[in-house]
Amino acid sequence: MELLLVSLLGGVLALDGTAVGQFMVSRPLVAGALTGWLLGTPAVGLAVGALLEAYLLVSFPSGGARYPEGATAAVVAVASAGAADPLGAVPLGLALGLVWGQIGGFTVSALRRLNAWLVPEADGPRPESLSAAHLGAIALDGLRGALLTAVGVVGGRWVVETLAQSWPLGPSDTRGLLLVGAAVSAGVLMRSLGGYRRRRILFLTGMALAVVGARLL
Amino acid sequence: MTAVLSRRVLASAFARSFLIQGSWNHKTMIGSGFAFAMLPALRVLFRDDATVMDAALRRHLEHFNAHPYLANVALGAVLRMEADGERPDDVRRFKTAVRGPLGGLGDALVWGAWLPAVSLAALTLLWLGVPAWVAVPLFLFVYNAGHVALRTWGFVTGLTGGRGVGRSLGAAALSRWTEKVRSVAGLLLGLFCGMALAGGGGLAEAGPVWAVLACAAFLGGHLAGHRLWRPTAVAVVAAVALLATWGWKP
Repeated sequence: MELLLVSLLGGVLALDGTAVGQFMVSRPLVAGALTGWLLGTPAVGLAVGALLEAYLLVSFPSGGARYPEGATAAVVAVASAGAADPLGAVPLGLALGLVWGQIGGFTVSALRRLNAWLVPEADGPRPESLSAAHLGAIALDGLRGALLTAVGVVGGRWVVETLAQSWPLGPSDTRGLLLVGAAVSAGVLMRSLGGYRRRRILFLTGMALAVVGARLL
Repeated sequence: MTAVLSRRVLASAFARSFLIQGSWNHKTMIGSGFAFAMLPALRVLFRDDATVMDAALRRHLEHFNAHPYLANVALGAVLRMEADGERPDDVRRFKTAVRGPLGGLGDALVWGAWLPAVSLAALTLLWLGVPAWVAVPLFLFVYNAGHVALRTWGFVTGLTGGRGVGRSLGAAALSRWTEKVRSVAGLLLGLFCGMALAGGGGLAEAGPVWAVLACAAFLGGHLAGHRLWRPTAVAVVAAVALLATWGWKP
């Protein structure tokens, strides 16, 4: 029953990625928090969702590019990480999320190739079948998301249950390792915002405020 | 004129615009989604002549692409052009002319500035200890306030301007808005990095080695750009897998 619920959530959130609305409930932060809340592990959901969000800060559903799919990745990561002690489960969940995001990206590309066959062509027969084809493509996307989530959660939970207890690092080193990876995304984002030279005054102001605030609070 | 199209038909087209990427494909991109959004209006405009209706539907099934939110500018303008009875070739030329600018402007404003800015704000709030039940809904509310406003503005502007919508787009100065939002995102990125470096549960507590490594990683990401993202993800996955299996006993 729980697997069914989580898969449905994955399917619904995957729809928001491109096909329906793009209200950003598919962002890892939201998808992670929702999954954690659904499974009764809100702290794990938030930790894994926020980490994945930091990694995927520079990943957007832009045009025809293949990008890691954040929604199914976050649902799989959180549902898997909730299966064991958080110290080892969170890094394993994050790693699973990064892998599943790539697999999700491949399935999105495959569906887009299938859609090209599904929708009527301008110079082809039966253009009036457009509504059925369009809504059918949306339904397929939801189904894709749900199946992808189900497979990911089953495999992911097995991985986390098997390996989490042998995680060798303490909390500080685990945090350090995961934040170093996220720092690359932050650097890439700095570049795409115009680069350090262009944003240095505001960037350094923000940093100074955070450092001073952290010391005072 | 758009008086031919009732409020109900226009509302239906606007609602359908939220599904414009529903059948995204590599052949026509969002062309089929655009035709799907046009369908209620086409049915009203060409209800008396099945042949004309067929031709109208076919010309909107052709290749089209734009940023999904700003596609509403084209949708509104094309609805107006069709209602005004403009020539099919003019409608086709208009769609070809606007798809590039609407894609570029939207990608830069929404994906390149608005979304990262609001995401960074939410992550920073969480790091400051704001509860998730506040930070996550706030992220969705703020993001979608901008999102829905942009879609609505685009639709109304297109509908009002018709083929002359380019002037309204120019007057809106979306590039200037993009620059402003990017500046705010720069400040928020600084706040986020500062929190990660010196805040509770951050790199300062993890130790100086991790802090130095994170600074080097930030610099690497800044210098190499997007091409470093995938190798980083692979490296993190490999490191986690190696560490987890190192002490594993069956």
